Amino acid sequence: MELDVTGAKILWELPLELPVLGKLRISETMVVSWIVMILITGLCIWLTHDLKEENISKRQALAEFIVEKANNFVVGNMGEKFSYLIPFIAALFATSVVSNLISLIGLRSPTADLSTEAAWAVVVFIMITAQKIQTNGFGGYLKGFTTPIAIMTPFNILSELATPVSMACRHFGNILSGVVINGLIYGALAVASSAVLGILPGVLGDVLSKIPILDVGIPAILSVYFDWFSGVMQAFIFCMLTVMYIANAAEE
Amino acid sequence: MQVQDLVTIVPWNFIATILNLFIQVYLIKRFLFKPINEMLEKRRAKADAQIQDAVKAKDEALAMKEEYEKNMQDAKNKANEILTTAQKTAAVQSEEMLKDAALQAAAMKEKAEADIAQEKRKAVNEIKGEIGGMAMEIAGKVIEREISEEDHAKLIDEFITNVGEAS
Repeated sequence: MELDVTGAKILWELPLELPVLGKLRISETMVVSWIVMILITGLCIWLTHDLKEENISKRQALAEFIVEKANNFVVGNMGEKFSYLIPFIAALFATSVVSNLISLIGLRSPTADLSTEAAWAVVVFIMITAQKIQTNGFGGYLKGFTTPIAIMTPFNILSELATPVSMACRHFGNILSGVVINGLIYGALAVASSAVLGILPGVLGDVLSKIPILDVGIPAILSVYFDWFSGVMQAFIFCMLTVMYIANAAEE
Repeated sequence: MQVQDLVTIVPWNFIATILNLFIQVYLIKRFLFKPINEMLEKRRAKADAQIQDAVKAKDEALAMKEEYEKNMQDAKNKANEILTTAQKTAAVQSEEMLKDAALQAAAMKEKAEADIAQEKRKAVNEIKGEIGGMAMEIAGKVIEREISEEDHAKLIDEFITNVGEAS
């Protein structure tokens, strides 16, 4: 029994070496993230077609519920002046959740690739920094690193840089651990079922031991935590941190 | 098939993810928030309009009620006035009638009294003449003497006075 946990597969490669960026490779991550985008956009279009002012359908009620929740989440945590961030937070959350949960249909989550989370974290980091500069001015922003005393400057810079790193690694680590543990469970259950059914005598045992019967059902129970709970939780945490960091940057 | 490292940052994936994120922001804004917010806004406007209509209707109803009450009050006042006038007129009329009746009765009584007095006087005069004659005759016969004209008249008058007092 051999278990191999690897990164995303590279599906296609442009045979041309570019400076800095390297070869253009279309990986599983990219393709699945496009699928995720199509799913989300399709869901939005389906939810919002045929809107009515009164006597609304369940579908429209759900759409209104989502919009209201997104509004409340952003405005409630950040205040009215950040209402322009509602679509951004909603997109971040939706992409994250759908990316995490898409592993349930057997595709590799784009969030199981550090590049994805790193990109999101960098975007959020730029927004936080921009907000800080907007609030305190560029001088005030730089001066903020020397508080409370000048000697703290390196640590302040370190803690500033730790924000996106921790955000990205937290999310990535949780999703990757789900992938790894799922792989281990599938492997272990396959071994277990072949061992148990191998006891059966003759050809019957030989045939049945090739079929990993224990892999049916049991991993689904564990996926309730590793995929569903962890997936939704990490998306929520990522968005919550984004909102909190930006709201904090707007204070002072 | 080639695979990426398990933990690595691939520049192409990084860039693609950033672009994807912003495309997704646009798409979610365009296809979820815009239609829903527009619809919510429309519904809000409609609700506002309905509330305004209701307020207007209520105002109108209140105005109508006020007018109705005013009219009712007017009518009541008018009715009272008419009643009062009628009562006054009736009182005046009845008083007049009573006064007339009293006057008439007084006049009738006066006339009756006058009539009685006249009759009485007439009767007295008649009796006076008759008794005078009778007395002369009786006296002449009884006394059989000639009384002087003066004594004669005096005697008669005395007698009549006595009769008048007795009657």
